[in-house]
Amino acid sequence: MAEITPDEIGVVDFAVREHRSLWLDAWRRLVSSNTARLGMVVVMIFVFSATYAHFFWVYDAKTDLDYSLKLKPPNLFPTEEIAEPHYFGTDKLGRDIFRRTVHGGWNSLRVGIVAVSISMFIGVVLGILAGFYESMRITYMEKIVLMVLIALALGSLSAWIARQPIQALLFGALGAVSVIFENFQKGKPIRTVIFALVGILLGAISGMLVSPMVALVCGAWGALVGVVISLSLGGKFFSNIVMRFMDIILSFPAYLLAIAIVAFLGPGLEKGMIAIGVVGIPVYARLARSAVLSVSQKEYVLAAQSVGESHSRIMVRHVFPNILSPIIIQATMGLAAAILSAAALGFLGLGAIPPEPEWGSMLGDSYKYLSSGAWWAVVFPGLAIVFSVLGFNLLGDGLRDALDPKMRV
Amino acid sequence: MSRYIIRRLISVIPTLLGVTFVIFMFQRLIPGDPAVAMLGEHATEENVQRIREQFGLNRPLFLDRDALANGDLRGFFDTQYLRYLGRLVRLDLGNSIHRRIPVAETLAIRFPATIELALLSMTIAILVGIPVGIASASRRNTLLDGTTMIGSLVGVSMPIFWLGLMEIMLFSVFLQWLPSGGRLSTGIEVEAITNLVLFDSLITGNIPAFIDAFKHIILPALALATIPTAIIARMTRSSILDVLQEDYIRTANAKGLAERVVLFRHALKNAFLPVITIIGIQTGTLLAGAVLTETIFSWPGIGKWVYDSILARDYPIVQGGTLLIAIIFVVVNLLVDISYAVLDPRIRYD
Repeated sequence: MAEITPDEIGVVDFAVREHRSLWLDAWRRLVSSNTARLGMVVVMIFVFSATYAHFFWVYDAKTDLDYSLKLKPPNLFPTEEIAEPHYFGTDKLGRDIFRRTVHGGWNSLRVGIVAVSISMFIGVVLGILAGFYESMRITYMEKIVLMVLIALALGSLSAWIARQPIQALLFGALGAVSVIFENFQKGKPIRTVIFALVGILLGAISGMLVSPMVALVCGAWGALVGVVISLSLGGKFFSNIVMRFMDIILSFPAYLLAIAIVAFLGPGLEKGMIAIGVVGIPVYARLARSAVLSVSQKEYVLAAQSVGESHSRIMVRHVFPNILSPIIIQATMGLAAAILSAAALGFLGLGAIPPEPEWGSMLGDSYKYLSSGAWWAVVFPGLAIVFSVLGFNLLGDGLRDALDPKMRV
Repeated sequence: MSRYIIRRLISVIPTLLGVTFVIFMFQRLIPGDPAVAMLGEHATEENVQRIREQFGLNRPLFLDRDALANGDLRGFFDTQYLRYLGRLVRLDLGNSIHRRIPVAETLAIRFPATIELALLSMTIAILVGIPVGIASASRRNTLLDGTTMIGSLVGVSMPIFWLGLMEIMLFSVFLQWLPSGGRLSTGIEVEAITNLVLFDSLITGNIPAFIDAFKHIILPALALATIPTAIIARMTRSSILDVLQEDYIRTANAKGLAERVVLFRHALKNAFLPVITIIGIQTGTLLAGAVLTETIFSWPGIGKWVYDSILARDYPIVQGGTLLIAIIFVVVNLLVDISYAVLDPRIRYD
């Protein structure tokens, strides 16, 4: 019988198989998908043209004005009347729409990147903290910090009413004491009563120095603080506070909240970035929290805990890298959403300050001329928005398939 | 179950308080004195002072510690924010600065326009989105599937205000089939019963008005329906594909049931849960007022009204409108959560 080598029957020798990292695998899946490739091409065209125009194609929006070329339809070749070709036509001030559309890309790109960075950074940090402390037992030191902070925050109201900063510190100390005497021998109800009494004393005695009525209110508030800090709150409480706060932001429709923030800050591209960024925070916080909740029960986190790694190290080294993929997907889609929101703000006149070229405000400037037939001033900036947003969405869709094979459908 | 519902109801209270707080702070932090805004730039100092006292603008924002130090417990709580909450409980949203009519009254007239538009858009979105989703899930990885998925991605990527402009360009400017904005043509009157013009004109038998109203609403409704349609189609598809991998579907297939029966009898029921959720959330978004769509089509709903008031610095309207919108949003989310728990007995909340 002839000898059979492993090559002939196609056995894969796992020991010598080419090493492939998780990210390389994901990259291969990404480039093998048609839609993702299309998305990448669109995004690259968009990023390249915007960057090139910004650095190498000089354009001064402030001096660009030529009434003789007002609202001319697109012409591909120079004619006797119009010396230069205007591929996309001209707008109400005779400005070349092609030029402004390409330059507008830089602003959209900027808004997208800055806004997504704001919401991603704040949201992910909050989400990781909330998810991590919700699923982990918090350490003694962390518990002291939490209780002191809660007691300080609550106690400062009483201190403010009585104009005695020292009171807040006393309440803070009471918070630390509540952790130290956590396992009070006489049981929970007695513990609550004792802390409530101490709270009353803390508030009322120093309140007496101002007036009896102040003592009454501070005493009542002190009792409440005492009851709260006797409850031995944990990470779940912290997570609840953070997520309720996110719920409040989420209970405003995104556009309206962004408009309200811009109305408050004043118009301008930078203000728009902040507004869109703030509105996006809860999405990342929720996403990060739920990802952390599933990751933190995994064996490698338990292993890291059992060898005594600190919580901050576990969060940075073990949890964060493992929740990256949903965040990357969300960030890509978020760029698309941010470009859309920026265009919407610009359209309403709350975005870039004219004459700065920005797609949304270009639409806002020109749509009144639609009824007189100037379709080109509205069609082309809009198409630019659609294609760039579609590019990021296609890429995000492809990334979802590539990074998370489980979610593939 | 009832415990979960009660807990969920209670959890709404801090959210709503937070919402009122944020809205209150926005108005107070925006530059400019509200009393001056009410009276105009040329008001005398005395009049400004009088208005401040009348509206309590001279009171502290949250708690008055000076009053308390003087032994006045009532004065301690008699502050701008708490007065604001007290007025809210009595459904008093204040008066518009420029037109001096109660905000609540105008809201009651404006809101039906938004409801009408939102409901019609949602109906379109459901009627188109769900069949398309089912079709592309049952013919997975075919040309049809690919086309609808790309189509839905384009739908999500579309700025609806631009889509609305394109519709106006095509149907109003070039073809001149449909009006470009407004709710009814001038000269056409509909007896106001519910303030839903389509509904009112139908029950009063005013067919010409119904046709006219329909011509006005169809373009904004189509524009507004784009995103929900795309989202519903995607959700239906992915949810059905998820369910089709379950064991009981394999059993049904194995015992030789027709594919159609498996899909419609067995898979759809379970696949619809996430779809219902997404429909609920999207309805909340639509009801919350489509600022952009309403602006483009001059639709007299709350979205456009709030936006116009922001530009006109008419803050009581901004405050009242935003509050209504946020409350609708919160309530719809609450209903979605509760319906989820009711519809899916597998879900148990502790």
